[in-house]
Amino acid sequence: MRSLSIHESFAGRNVLLTGASGFLGKVWLTMMLQRAPGIGRIYVLLRQKALRPARDRFEKMVASSPCFKPLHERYGADLGRFIAERVEVVDGDIGLPGLGLDDATAARLAGELDLVVNCAGLVDFDPDLRDALGTNVDGCLHVADFLARCERAALLHISTCYVAGTRNGEIPEELIANYAPSGAPFDARAEYDDARAAIAQILADYDTPEKEAEIHLDTVKHIRERGLDPNNETLVRNISRRLKRTAIKDAMIAEGQDRAKRWGWTNIYTYSKSLGESLLAPYLGKFKLSLLRPAIVESAMEYPFPGWNQGFNTSGPLSYMLGGWFRQLPMRRGNPFDVIPVDYVCRAMSIAGAALIEGEHRLVYQCGSSDKNRLTIDRACELTALAHRKHLRRKGDSAVDRIVLSRWDSVPSDGEEAFSVPNLRKAAKDFTEAMRDLPRRWPKFVRRKAEDAAKEVDKVDEKLETIEKLVDLYRPFILDNFFVFKTDALQSHGVVEPEFQFDPKAIDWRRYWIDVHIPGLRRWCYPLFEGKTPDSYSPRHPFALPAPAPAQPPAEARPAQAQAQGGAR
Amino acid sequence: MSTVKTAAFFRAEGTLLGRGVLAATAYLAANAQKFGERALRLGVVALSAPLHGLLGQNDRTLGNRIAYLAFRGMSEDRIAELGEEYAADILKEKILDQGVELVKRARAEGHRIVLMSDNVSAIMEPLLPHLPAIDDLVCNRLEYADGEATGKLVDPVIGGHGDGRFVAEYAARHGIDLGASVAYGSHGTDLLLLAAVGKPCAVNPDFTLRRGAREADWPIIEYQS
Repeated sequence: MRSLSIHESFAGRNVLLTGASGFLGKVWLTMMLQRAPGIGRIYVLLRQKALRPARDRFEKMVASSPCFKPLHERYGADLGRFIAERVEVVDGDIGLPGLGLDDATAARLAGELDLVVNCAGLVDFDPDLRDALGTNVDGCLHVADFLARCERAALLHISTCYVAGTRNGEIPEELIANYAPSGAPFDARAEYDDARAAIAQILADYDTPEKEAEIHLDTVKHIRERGLDPNNETLVRNISRRLKRTAIKDAMIAEGQDRAKRWGWTNIYTYSKSLGESLLAPYLGKFKLSLLRPAIVESAMEYPFPGWNQGFNTSGPLSYMLGGWFRQLPMRRGNPFDVIPVDYVCRAMSIAGAALIEGEHRLVYQCGSSDKNRLTIDRACELTALAHRKHLRRKGDSAVDRIVLSRWDSVPSDGEEAFSVPNLRKAAKDFTEAMRDLPRRWPKFVRRKAEDAAKEVDKVDEKLETIEKLVDLYRPFILDNFFVFKTDALQSHGVVEPEFQFDPKAIDWRRYWIDVHIPGLRRWCYPLFEGKTPDSYSPRHPFALPAPAPAQPPAEARPAQAQAQGGAR
Repeated sequence: MSTVKTAAFFRAEGTLLGRGVLAATAYLAANAQKFGERALRLGVVALSAPLHGLLGQNDRTLGNRIAYLAFRGMSEDRIAELGEEYAADILKEKILDQGVELVKRARAEGHRIVLMSDNVSAIMEPLLPHLPAIDDLVCNRLEYADGEATGKLVDPVIGGHGDGRFVAEYAARHGIDLGASVAYGSHGTDLLLLAAVGKPCAVNPDFTLRRGAREADWPIIEYQS
């Protein structure tokens, strides 16, 4: 097979990108602008948020996201013109039929597009089922429907390796229609309809007078506990609305988790992503289609700069936790921890995109490291501890951090050790019970002290509970299952440009983890866990897009049109 | 250009560095992953200490082999990371200034600089940027399997009677005239190394080497502290 040239394949080609504000989408957008500036037009589909039009959101993103740093440094004051020539921001929402585009834009795009890259996705592990289906399933179908109307566009849909669910062994690169990991007979369309019905049922359940009364009682109790006035009607209304919303959300999450588990998926995210994949299968043959499944997407190796990361990323909370006093992480030694740097995924996206444009594409591309350069979970755990050590020894906040915590390495456990979290929690529970159960004939001050001690232990127990929940969230990936994702499809394409080649063998895990990944997380993600804001970027030349061409329809007219279009479909 | 190549062989421990192998192994052992493991590994280092003391005047091969047994089962990542840490935080401060001068002088005299060390590459390689320019680093190498140290050293083990033979082979391989080459050592173990070259020099020698150097009428350098 001949080698692909990303430059040549993308030259003059028009691309629609969804999810450009996400971690992956943003890096890919800037990478293409930086490394393949001959690309035609990139239409960036952004949603209007809190009355802020898409264009403004995009402008702010370019002006303040560190991800755009290389572009700012290269083009300086000229960046506005450079981007305006190549990027057009389109107001839309993949959650809406027809992507929420107005008719004129939709028609124009349908004629012009060569490739649609669907990066939009909800990546929380256990979100509200409505949101998960809305973005990961409906969104995917709306994009596919739009593709069916396009003249020649191909679709690159970003999924995840973990759609495989609770399965073991080598996971091949294939799309199985109506796939469920449990192996039970499964119909994706029926499951989707069933899930939608369950959502409606939950909403109906919360609309009954009995539920209203129950929530009202809770509200009054809640208000009394805080010593507020239960006769204040506004307060009661607000709080009961909030409680209802939370209760419904919890019910939706429980419903989603239940469904995911029933069919063998690890969480709502992988369940909804897999449903999306399955429901794409009927579109095969209508347009060129590839699925790109990244594994765990992590800090950049080199682009936009080493260590770049964004948001509550996948394994961030776990590594943050390992930087503290928590020591024993349950895991199965030797299990692959399939991390892949975000810029590697972006290279893979470019390769798959070029293959689609050239018509040499495969249906499924998996993009991970476990197949070619395996990082095991115990190694990742040790490297994390070593990275924290390196940081704490020099920059720990206190002497205890610098001297003790830096040497407090996390260790792999099989969950049975004396100091494992469940055991600690049990000990804490026994202790508080004993303290609260002292004989009444004991002096009062002793019992008061005992109560104080019990309260302190309760606080510790709360922290342990958070840790336990977090560990449970990751358990399928680090303890229960053993996945190796094949990545032969990507390797099957030769690539001319070295800066777009995908070679996970080149990753030196120690250097990456200790000098790039964990410092990146420390800078861009840990502040979020601590309730702080990570650094933003302020370019030397303030960024603004040149004034839009007058031909653009006004932003206000769009939602109504989108609705009308949705109805017509 | 002169066709005769000469070399200056420096035994790192004692001439260029003020810390030996035991301090390094103890440091790594004390920073193993688990608490119990740290105690156990330190125990192994402690066991090798008397051997280093007893045989150190003569041959350190066995002492080194036992000392490095303390690394058995330790991950390559950890050894590399701790090695860098030890080199940058501790060993760097123990570089002997007079030793640095000797290296520079040897360089000015046109010798190829060969540094021989009992320490492992994980420690010595990160130390190189802090040392004057070295042409060749010859140090001990740990054997690894599946990302873990086996506790064995890859032959040839540096720091024993084998050093003299090693120097002879090295000279043959690189076309070096040993008769015109120099060597610096400071322990009894270096006797054969020093005897292999035409211009040996004892630096801060221990009892055995001092006696040997006097017998052979080799120059002795005492560092002034």
